Amino acid sequence: MPKAKYENSLDRHYLLKNIPTPPFGDVKARHIVSYDEYVGNGGYQGLRKTLTMTPNEIIGEVKQSSLRGRGGAGFPAGVKWSFLPPIKLADGTEVGDEHAGKDVPVEGRYLAVNADESEPGTFKDRLLMECDPHALLEGIAICCYACRLSKAYIFIRGEYHHQAHVLEKALKEAYEQGIFGDKGIIGSGENTAGPRFRVDCYVHRGAGAYICGEETGLLEAIEGKRGWPRTKPPFPAIKGLFGKPTIINNVETLCHIPDIINHGAAWFCELGVESSVGGPPSFGTKLMGVSGHVERPGVYECELGIPLRTLVDEFCGGMRNGKKFKGAIAGGVSMGVLGPDQFDAELDFDIGRKYNVLGLGTACPTVFDEDTDMVAVCRNISRFFKHESCGQCTPCREGSGWLYQLLCKIESGDGRTKDLDLALEIATSMGTMPGTTICGLADGNNWATRTIMSKYREEFEARVKPTYVPVAMTVGASAKG
Amino acid sequence: MAWITKPSATEKIERRGEAYLTDAMRTSITDDFIPRFETTMACILPALHMIQHEYGWIPKQAMEEIARHLEVAPADVFDTATFYEEYWLKPKGKCLISVCRSIACEVCGQQEITDAVREKLGIEVSETTDDGKFTLVELECLGACGGAPAILVGETLHEKVTPEQVVEIIDRVEREIDAGGGH
Repeated sequence: MPKAKYENSLDRHYLLKNIPTPPFGDVKARHIVSYDEYVGNGGYQGLRKTLTMTPNEIIGEVKQSSLRGRGGAGFPAGVKWSFLPPIKLADGTEVGDEHAGKDVPVEGRYLAVNADESEPGTFKDRLLMECDPHALLEGIAICCYACRLSKAYIFIRGEYHHQAHVLEKALKEAYEQGIFGDKGIIGSGENTAGPRFRVDCYVHRGAGAYICGEETGLLEAIEGKRGWPRTKPPFPAIKGLFGKPTIINNVETLCHIPDIINHGAAWFCELGVESSVGGPPSFGTKLMGVSGHVERPGVYECELGIPLRTLVDEFCGGMRNGKKFKGAIAGGVSMGVLGPDQFDAELDFDIGRKYNVLGLGTACPTVFDEDTDMVAVCRNISRFFKHESCGQCTPCREGSGWLYQLLCKIESGDGRTKDLDLALEIATSMGTMPGTTICGLADGNNWATRTIMSKYREEFEARVKPTYVPVAMTVGASAKG
Repeated sequence: MAWITKPSATEKIERRGEAYLTDAMRTSITDDFIPRFETTMACILPALHMIQHEYGWIPKQAMEEIARHLEVAPADVFDTATFYEEYWLKPKGKCLISVCRSIACEVCGQQEITDAVREKLGIEVSETTDDGKFTLVELECLGACGGAPAILVGETLHEKVTPEQVVEIIDRVEREIDAGGGH
């Protein structure tokens, strides 16, 4: 159950523990944690600890922590890791724990790190990558060791120029310090705590396409093709990058891994909340990037389950200029909107079932005050989806365009009542839920439009003219017949 | 809209004698990028980035050179290049001003920022100034919603900008360009 009190103090921070400055200000002025500073604060201890554990023990620990993916879908990371097919040796035996520390062929098993943070409202991974890049690299190293992966690609969106440079620099340090490369996973020299294991890690820059944040779209983009999502199954864990087993994790998910290994799964399960509707639990802390009409927008680390009102009032200094709350995007525009009466919604993975939104998403709420025009908000969001539709599936490609045109018409006051129903019909008929598209991009469009139109129906109705319903009339000669 | 393509059957490719893909780029691709991936095709994105970084846009001849170097079909390179929004297939100004138009920026006053740039430079969105210095575009989310409204000038992000600051930034960049520094 939700806790009564949430503390906004640095000793409750884990992901942000190395980033003492508040997340505001000029991007370049923010402090970048170097390798030495990271190690000085206990960095790479988790990686050293994993070397004393067998891969199955590590995966078991992550599974036990019920760490759920921080990229939007909330799929348990440990479970995802365990989907990888086992490695078979030349004599046909499967690699197991007894092979820990031995040289096994791991070629052609990949990790793709999803740093393509393009969802409007979401800006949490940016902070992790630009201020504390080694936390991500440690998570990558642990994941590669536990799942026996040979290469990791950090797919970072094209607009993150500064962050890509920071990561490249940190990677160089990590290669020199024996995390990656020839001297791999904590130096193969005299300081070796565990087995020699070679992992390569690269930064791969995207080029401005939201769809590449979809996991299979991301794989296509790394392969150098257009970022068209693939049909699933086969799932990436079986057939992913270059047709080989691939794990795809979000930046924040991987940043949690070192702490889970360091402190244990039991520690992690003390943070956050159990599910109140009988679903899987929402344990741990989460970065919440609050934007929109609040006094102090920014990224805050909170335990899952924190009510939106607490987040806004105690962390962000309340609504801007003391205005009233009107609504908030739950976490990235594709999750839909929380209505005026849902200010107390708890931000955990149950939010979708309890408050009629798609889900928690990235837990980065965009807050709107009473003066916001929700029709304009809806139009803006539909323009985003129209713009970012990759064009592969017709319902999404065409539907998103129609929807945008309709909403423009409604916004300008030229719409009619029937246009509202038409917009809803278009919205509800695209997406993976009605089964008409390959990926979930159209579902985002669907949910955003549907939740805004149902929760602010009166605003939409006030903008449209009534539909003229023709009544059948018979006049003149035909009337007699 | 990544999926809109123009009829290209009748299009003539402008060529120049000198190769766009310099020797240094070829070495970098062969030594740094090709060993990273199982296929050479995966190097298309980094190679296109290199060309764009050097010339500001991606000429068709450069795409052919990339295709030859990576031993893939030119159509594959063209296919990829047309899909991604960040690649410029026609020349743009020296400095690209990208104004974020997504939801957080729009509710925090993005329109005033765009208007300030339009007024200052005398161009509309997606146009280039006559002197070839600036191009203005509106992008979807820059991932800086906490600092809305945000603009990307060249590769530098500016958060919580006001119309006055935008004008100052443009003046500063213009001086840099005049002094010979590319942005």
